[in-house]
Amino acid sequence: MYILPKSDLPMLLRTLADRYELFGPIVDPVSGETLFDRAASPEDLRLDAPIPVNTPKFTVFPHLERILSFRYDRDSKDLDIVRDDLVRPKALVGVRSCDLNGLLCFDRFFLGQEYVDEVYRDHRRKMLIVTNTCVRPFVQCFCVCTDSGPYAAEGYDVNLTDLGSAYLFETGSEKGAALAVELGLAAAGPADAAARDAAVNHSIGLFDGQAVENKAWISRAVNRLTTGFVKPETWEYIGRQCFECGACSFVCPSCSCFNIEDVATQAGPTDRLRTWDSCSFEGYARMAGEHNPRRPVEDRRNKRFFCKLSYSQSKKYLRPGCVGCGRCARVCPGDIGLPNVVTAIRRETTGSKP
Amino acid sequence: MNDRNPAVITTVPAAAVIEEIRDEIEDVRTYYFRFEDPELERTFAVRSGQFVMCTVFGSGEFAVSLPWSPEADRRHLSVRSVGKVTGALAGLVVGDKIGIRGPFGNGFPFEDIKGKSIIYVAGGIGLIPLRSSIVHVLRHRAEFGRLILLYGARAPKDLMYRETIEGWRGTAGFETYVTIDRPEPGWTGETGFVHTLIEKAKVPVENTVAFVCGPPIMFNAVIQELSGRGLRDDCIISTLERHMKCGLGKCQHCAIGRTLVCTDGPVYTYKQIKTLGEQI
Repeated sequence: MYILPKSDLPMLLRTLADRYELFGPIVDPVSGETLFDRAASPEDLRLDAPIPVNTPKFTVFPHLERILSFRYDRDSKDLDIVRDDLVRPKALVGVRSCDLNGLLCFDRFFLGQEYVDEVYRDHRRKMLIVTNTCVRPFVQCFCVCTDSGPYAAEGYDVNLTDLGSAYLFETGSEKGAALAVELGLAAAGPADAAARDAAVNHSIGLFDGQAVENKAWISRAVNRLTTGFVKPETWEYIGRQCFECGACSFVCPSCSCFNIEDVATQAGPTDRLRTWDSCSFEGYARMAGEHNPRRPVEDRRNKRFFCKLSYSQSKKYLRPGCVGCGRCARVCPGDIGLPNVVTAIRRETTGSKP
Repeated sequence: MNDRNPAVITTVPAAAVIEEIRDEIEDVRTYYFRFEDPELERTFAVRSGQFVMCTVFGSGEFAVSLPWSPEADRRHLSVRSVGKVTGALAGLVVGDKIGIRGPFGNGFPFEDIKGKSIIYVAGGIGLIPLRSSIVHVLRHRAEFGRLILLYGARAPKDLMYRETIEGWRGTAGFETYVTIDRPEPGWTGETGFVHTLIEKAKVPVENTVAFVCGPPIMFNAVIQELSGRGLRDDCIISTLERHMKCGLGKCQHCAIGRTLVCTDGPVYTYKQIKTLGEQI
C-alpha cells in the first residue's frame, strides 16, 4: 500500500503513456457522456467521471479484429497463412470493479478452460490494469447484488481509492509493485487502510438512496433458473419484450459471443475477422440448409439469462455471469435488462404479474 | 466420453492438398487429402466421431464430421455443397489446397460399449459420421455382438458410399439393410422409411446400443420406434450438428442447452439430448 498524492496522478499517467496505449474514462465535451476510450493525451482521463456508457472489454476483445490472413493463388497453388502480431501493450486506467470483474469472467472463460484463446491471451499478457474504487454508486448500479463492487478485491495491477487529497495506491501484481517503486511513492499506513474501508462502506451505504433504478435478488433467480422452476409464461413474456437488437450483449462486460468471417479484400489476401455477436439474434444458431434448432424467441432469450444466472455458469466463472453494472437495463428498448428479468422470475413466487 | 487428443490444431489452419475427388451423390463429394507438412501428415490423429474445421481459402470455414476411420482409411472428407463455403469447396480441383483445424469434440464411446450389439441407423448423408464408427467396429469385430446397419435415403441416387456398403454386405456377421423412401423402377431392394427396417431386422434391445444419425424428421421417427421397443435412452447415441465458428468452446454458436457441441459433443446419448431442451 502506498500513497499517491493527487498532484502526482499526471506523473503516473505520463509514465504509463510512455509504455502503453492509454485507455480510461473520458468525458465527451458535447454530450457530457463518459466513454471508456483511448486517451489522446493523459490529461483527458477523468477518474472522477460517472460510470462509462461502454465497457472496457473492447481492449481485450475488439468489436472487429483480424485474427488471421490468407494469401492463396489458385494458379500457382502458393499459400501463405499470416498470423501477424497486431496486439499493442495497453494500460487501462480508472477501470471500475464491475468492469474488472467482467474481464476476470473473460479470463476464466478464454484462458481457463479446455482450450486457451490465443488472440485474447496476447491482448491480456501485454496489459496493465489500474482500477478505481467506486466511492459513490450511480442510479443504474447494483454491483453489491452481484458481489463485484464497489471495491476490487483481486485481478488488478494497481487499485486507486480516492481518500480526498490523495489516492491509496494498492498493488496487486509484480508489475504494480514495480511501478510503485519506480514512482518513489511513500508507504501508506493502517490509518490509510482504515480510511479506504470507511470510503468503501460509505459507498455501499449510498446504494439505498442513490442506486435507485436497479435491485436484483440474484441468488433467488439463480436458484429458480437452475432448478428449472421458471415458468414457460415468464420466458414467453421476456421473449415477447425482446427486440433482438443485441444491445444488451454489446454493452455487457461479460458477454463474449463472437462470429468469425473470412473476407476477401480487393488487394488479394483474405482476412479472417472476429466480430462481436449476440445469442439473441434470430440467425445465431442457423445452419447451412436453413435448419435453425433455436427458433422461438423465448429460446434465445433464456439462453442469455442462463449464461448470466444459472448455477452451471457460476461454477464456470466462480461468480454469477452478471457484474451489476446496469448497462443492459439502460440500453434495452424492451425493458428486460437483467434486473427486470430477475424481478420477473422472483415475482413468480408471489404470483403477481411480471 | 473419451480421452482427449493431445495434438489439436487450434487457431491457425494447417495446409492440406487435395489428392483425389470422388463424386458420391448429387451435391456430395469426397475429398481425399494429405497435409503439406510431412511431420503433421505422419502424426495427425483423430478419433472416430470427431470433426474438423475446413477452410476454403478466400471463402470461409465450415465444420465437418469425419467419415474416415483413423486406423483403416486414407484421410478424407465428404461434403454436401449446400452454402457459400461448401459451394466454393465444390469448385476446387485436385492439387488445390484447403486448411484443416482440429480434431475437435469427444468422439464415440467405444470403450463403454464393448461386448454389446450395435445397430446403426442412418438417413441420407447421416451415414457420413457413422461410417468411421462402422469401419472401426468391423476392425474389432470380435469385441461386439450383433452388428446391424439400417440405411435409408430418398432414392437410389441419394445413397452414400454405395461401393463401401456393397463391401459391407459381403462381410460376415454384418447385417445390412438398405431402403429407399418409395418404389422406383430398377430398384429391387426395400422401400419405405428407414425406421420401418427396425421391425424387419428384428433388432435386439437387450445389451444393445443404437447409433442414429440423419435429418431431424427421420431421427424422431427412429427414436420413437427404438424407444417403443424398449431401448433405453442412454443406449441411443447420436452425433449432432451445429453452426460452429471456433471449435474451441469460445464463440458459443453451437451452445445447446447448457453444453457446447464443439467440446462437450458432438456425440451425445439421447438421454442427454432430452435434457438439453432444444430441437435436434
